[in-house]
Amino acid sequence: MFIDKSMTRNVVSIHPDTHVLEARELLAKHRIRHLPVVDENMKVIGIITDRDIRTAMPSPFLEEEETKKEKERFEKLQVKDIMTRDPVTITPFNTLEDAILLMQKMRVGAFPVVDQEGRLRGIISVRDLMRAFINVLGIEEPGHLFCIVVEDKIGQMKRIVDCITEEHISFGSILVARHWEEGKRAVFPYLLTSNASLVKRKLKKAGFELLDPMEWSLEQLPKSES
Amino acid sequence: MKRTGFLYDERFLLHKTGPDHPECPDRLEAIYKGLKEAGLLSKLITIQATKARQRWVEAVHTPRHLIRFEEACMLHLPEYGCPDNQMCPDTYEIAMLAVGGVLNMVTLLMEGKIDNGFCAVRPPGHHAEVSQALGFCYFNNVAIAARFLQLKWGIEKVGIVDFDVHHGNGTQHIFEQDPTVFYYSIHEHPSFSFPGTGREFEKGTGPGQGFTLNSPVLPGQGDNEYKAILQRDLLPAFESFKPDVILVSAGFDAHVDDDMSDINLSTECFTWMMQRIVDMAEKYSHGRVISVLEGGYSLKRLPELIVNHVRVLLGDMERID
Repeated sequence: MFIDKSMTRNVVSIHPDTHVLEARELLAKHRIRHLPVVDENMKVIGIITDRDIRTAMPSPFLEEEETKKEKERFEKLQVKDIMTRDPVTITPFNTLEDAILLMQKMRVGAFPVVDQEGRLRGIISVRDLMRAFINVLGIEEPGHLFCIVVEDKIGQMKRIVDCITEEHISFGSILVARHWEEGKRAVFPYLLTSNASLVKRKLKKAGFELLDPMEWSLEQLPKSES
Repeated sequence: MKRTGFLYDERFLLHKTGPDHPECPDRLEAIYKGLKEAGLLSKLITIQATKARQRWVEAVHTPRHLIRFEEACMLHLPEYGCPDNQMCPDTYEIAMLAVGGVLNMVTLLMEGKIDNGFCAVRPPGHHAEVSQALGFCYFNNVAIAARFLQLKWGIEKVGIVDFDVHHGNGTQHIFEQDPTVFYYSIHEHPSFSFPGTGREFEKGTGPGQGFTLNSPVLPGQGDNEYKAILQRDLLPAFESFKPDVILVSAGFDAHVDDDMSDINLSTECFTWMMQRIVDMAEKYSHGRVISVLEGGYSLKRLPELIVNHVRVLLGDMERID
């Protein structure tokens, strides 16, 4: 799963000498939050976000006199004055996993995607990653989610898959929560069926434990320290 | 007592779904037997089914859907649209009869020959999309009835209440851009239950914005939550929409004894819900309400649920608060 396949290709970018006001209009017009800043050769030299711009804007709490001055200052501001220089970038041949982990580590919402020469090729944002996540969850197709508690040992998944395949039911996705209780894992098959009672009966008959939906949780992972 | 129509036709039993399928002919037999034993059949105006005219079905569905469905039956295919939709060579005819029967009910209502009615039909309808059979459904009976009310009878605003435990994706999608048909659904939360649509932020699109309303309910919840949610969401929505006629997608699978869902409603809560719906019909729609069977798979509970449901329509049921 490479960035190349999931990134937004027609990325909107901006030149460092542009007025910040223009950057603000671009963001609003395209309903985006990140603008890579590129030079004449399309080399990425910075990034500017809607938050950078809002921070630079005159405070609404100022007196009239000060507001006027601040306004004049703001109108003169250029992108290069407030952009983040040398932003973290990623290449088309990094993976989606790289992007997710890096986003969590760097606490940013998007990376410009650059080629070997550092030229802008696209952008990958939280939104792109969410789209990819929705796709792998399979939830855009009608189906029903189940939660099965299994022992943490080889061969459990095969039993589940066999059980469901015998009923000619297709899988939308399967998630596994790794850290459940000691020696157990929780398996979440999303099945493309409306016949929930059939599946429940079948799984129970095969000796599986079905978990109360209100007890479901994927977040048994320790919170990241970064 | 009200003049309540009751649509039932033995031919609905001919739609065979194979062994162990929850949407089985036994459901209707249990319902019919329940009504008979409760002595209600003589109090109801029995309505027969006739095959729907294709033009009304095509007011909702694409001709391609009809052709492919009919072909699948002629070729004796075991399913159509998705593997859940198991069927038999008669299924197309029976689905046309179900629609036709519901439209007959609408006609009698609009001619003033009945006050309201209940349609015990198979196959159900609310999952059926414009061009797709899904979730045991082939033709969207309620959606076709809504269009028939508008096109044939000049009704302006139709309000649909769907209390099947699953979201009526088909009905929502058919009307989501249409401000003249309000679709309300209460159902088990889509992260847990089929079909995975009907989140609270799905509120209609374009000119239909604000004319779709969904109340997802978390697994394990029951009467108290349902009553509170319906009072919070449905009642004010219909108060401002003021439907000219109310159609009900009546599914009984949110019952605690129905293993299709994790919602735990009592038998009494279904009565409570239907009484509120009939109240709204009295207030806004000259009492005009037609209820159409969707899901509900507990053969043990269906008879009592339908008996109470029909009694509410007849105005012959003690009020539940």
